Amino acid sequence: MSGAAKPARPDLRVRIGGLELSNPVLVASGTFGYGDEYAHVVDPRLLGGVITKTVTLEPRAGNPPQRIAETAGGMLNSIGLENVGLAKFRAEKVPRLAALGATIIASIGGDTARHLERLLSELADLPAIAAFEINFSCPNVSEGGARYWTEPRRLETTLGRLRTLTAKPLIAKLSPDVTSIGELARACEAGGAGAVTAVNTFVGLAVDLGSGHSRLNRETGGLSGPAVKPLALARCFECAQAVKIPVIGSGGILSGGDALEFLAVGAAAVQVGTASFIRPRAALEVLEEMRARLAGTGARSIQGWRRALARHASDPEVGHGSGPSLVQGRAAGGASAPRGGPRRAARSAARGRAR
Amino acid sequence: MSGDVVIARASRAAPRGRRSRAPGSATVTRKTPPFSADHEEAGTVRGDGRELAVPWCQVTARVARQVDFGAGYLWLDLDVSSGFEPPAPGQFVQLLLGSTAAGTFLPRPMSVAGAVRRGRGLRLSFLYAPVGTGTRALARLRAGDDVQALGPLGRGYPIAAPGTPVLVAGGRGVAPLLYVAAALARQRTGAAGANGAAGEPGGAGIARLGAGTPRPALARHRATRRCEFLFGARTAPQLVGLAEVGRRIARLEGALHVCTDDGSRGMRGTVVLLLERLAPGFALPIVIHACGPHAMLRAVAEWAVARDIRAYLAMESVMACGTGVCRGCPLPRSAAGIAAHSGAAPSLLGNREYAMCCTEGPVFEARELDWTRVA
Repeated sequence: MSGAAKPARPDLRVRIGGLELSNPVLVASGTFGYGDEYAHVVDPRLLGGVITKTVTLEPRAGNPPQRIAETAGGMLNSIGLENVGLAKFRAEKVPRLAALGATIIASIGGDTARHLERLLSELADLPAIAAFEINFSCPNVSEGGARYWTEPRRLETTLGRLRTLTAKPLIAKLSPDVTSIGELARACEAGGAGAVTAVNTFVGLAVDLGSGHSRLNRETGGLSGPAVKPLALARCFECAQAVKIPVIGSGGILSGGDALEFLAVGAAAVQVGTASFIRPRAALEVLEEMRARLAGTGARSIQGWRRALARHASDPEVGHGSGPSLVQGRAAGGASAPRGGPRRAARSAARGRAR
Repeated sequence: MSGDVVIARASRAAPRGRRSRAPGSATVTRKTPPFSADHEEAGTVRGDGRELAVPWCQVTARVARQVDFGAGYLWLDLDVSSGFEPPAPGQFVQLLLGSTAAGTFLPRPMSVAGAVRRGRGLRLSFLYAPVGTGTRALARLRAGDDVQALGPLGRGYPIAAPGTPVLVAGGRGVAPLLYVAAALARQRTGAAGANGAAGEPGGAGIARLGAGTPRPALARHRATRRCEFLFGARTAPQLVGLAEVGRRIARLEGALHVCTDDGSRGMRGTVVLLLERLAPGFALPIVIHACGPHAMLRAVAEWAVARDIRAYLAMESVMACGTGVCRGCPLPRSAAGIAAHSGAAPSLLGNREYAMCCTEGPVFEARELDWTRVA
């Protein structure tokens, strides 16, 4: 690279359902509060989007202590969907985050399809909310959690009913603890989901040897952090193979390289989650590292980088990996950059800000 | 951000010098020190002069030294840059090691045992025992090593509250109380006119040269009050840093009272028994500042509540983020705590049923928590 001109900033725009994001780095639900808590260290406008803490119809106090247990390379949590409830979310949280200029993806959770319908009908008309993520996969509640939503038919019919309530993209967040996540992703696609998120936390357990009790308030909790990255990556890859709608990768992303692994195997975007707990600026650091690495390859867009990777993988002179290529060159849904070029995108972003 | 939002909602008047976040800036904007004279008049949720939250930041801290403090304890000095706000006594800092190779992933919440200005930055001190994976990893740090420090976090002790400060330490719980003692000593010198700013209400114990002058009435009050330090442990060797406590108390012209469960040093018995015996001799009202094992804190809390005495207790919890975002460190509220909890309270604090140890604590007034459900 010596003597070469500074590489152009790659175009990181991605499309999720009908929604254009300025870049593919989102913050995962439950790890960034309602978006304003970290605002003095992370300008939420710089992120692709903020996925807010899952909101339910009524406020929830969450599970009793202990809610956190550290494990090798990660943590178990059993928070229990603590949240302020729909009314306060709608009246206070959304306006505050909107005032910060964030692209808001509201995460909603419910025990039944009816709960989700009520939530969505109450929130669908808020212009500040760009999309919805439906939490079909909380491992830490007794009703409406991950187990309930592992029925493909239930997912499909529920999404079908939700689809009629809003034109905004519906993103289905899936549990990894299923026999075939690809099958669930297909059910979501058939039901009208605009994208799927792969994945929520993995069901895990930790034993206190002093007492023989769980180190959490419940037997099990949700495992997150770098420990789950290879697992999450495999689920993300499976989903990307299974559906045409965009897949949002999530699980153990700490660095720009981690994020690019997800993008390489077909994710249209990624979510940074637990990393924000240990480094509040983690999502922005992931974004900057990703941008720098892409620029270093000379790629001008994510799709271009993926195509180049696919070419390299088929070239025995260049490819160094010993296994089969995992690169998804497909232009699945949001994976491609929007038409119109950067200038048009800048104009539309400016319009968005002026709103 | 959090500081601004909290203050704007919790106070009758927003303190001077704070400004709303700069939306274009991803860095922390410089704000007034967390404890300014305004706060006392502005009032807070609890009306005890303690602020709900201050603007924290995460910086790279450099290990200045790590020394053996005896009885298996280590004293760690870290230097942090100028962006880091001075912690108040009782506040904590999340220390994150650069690598997860040692088996740790989460940062470790550490209460501050001391803080002094050093150039434009701060030197933060911590007292700990390397007993878990995280603290053992911390113990391997050497001078010149880097660690990420996030803070200052949580709410500390109301050291400016009127009355006799009674400091009650159990074993390693002495760490934040060393800082309380230092801050009280600085309050005295400030009150005596040697350094005006150190006497500011709720002062962080950090000398601020050239800042304002304390109000005369407050100064007189502080100059005359005496500090009582009760220090208990199971055995004499577990009276961690007893000599250091003695030195600090001497500067305060306070009194040090010691007890051990086995009678190997001082009175035989618990700190609550010691408190029961000594309290009649203390100038009223007394304000308890305690830190130690939860069982001890529960006993202190019950003792204080039964006598209508104010007691502030530094709690421990497993934490992930330390900033209120992950919701990982709930503590059960008492009925009174639930009644006092405002539904309008910022969401970084707890909810109606649970307080969050990291944002509402780690220091709680005894009446706020349901001690029968505190583990």
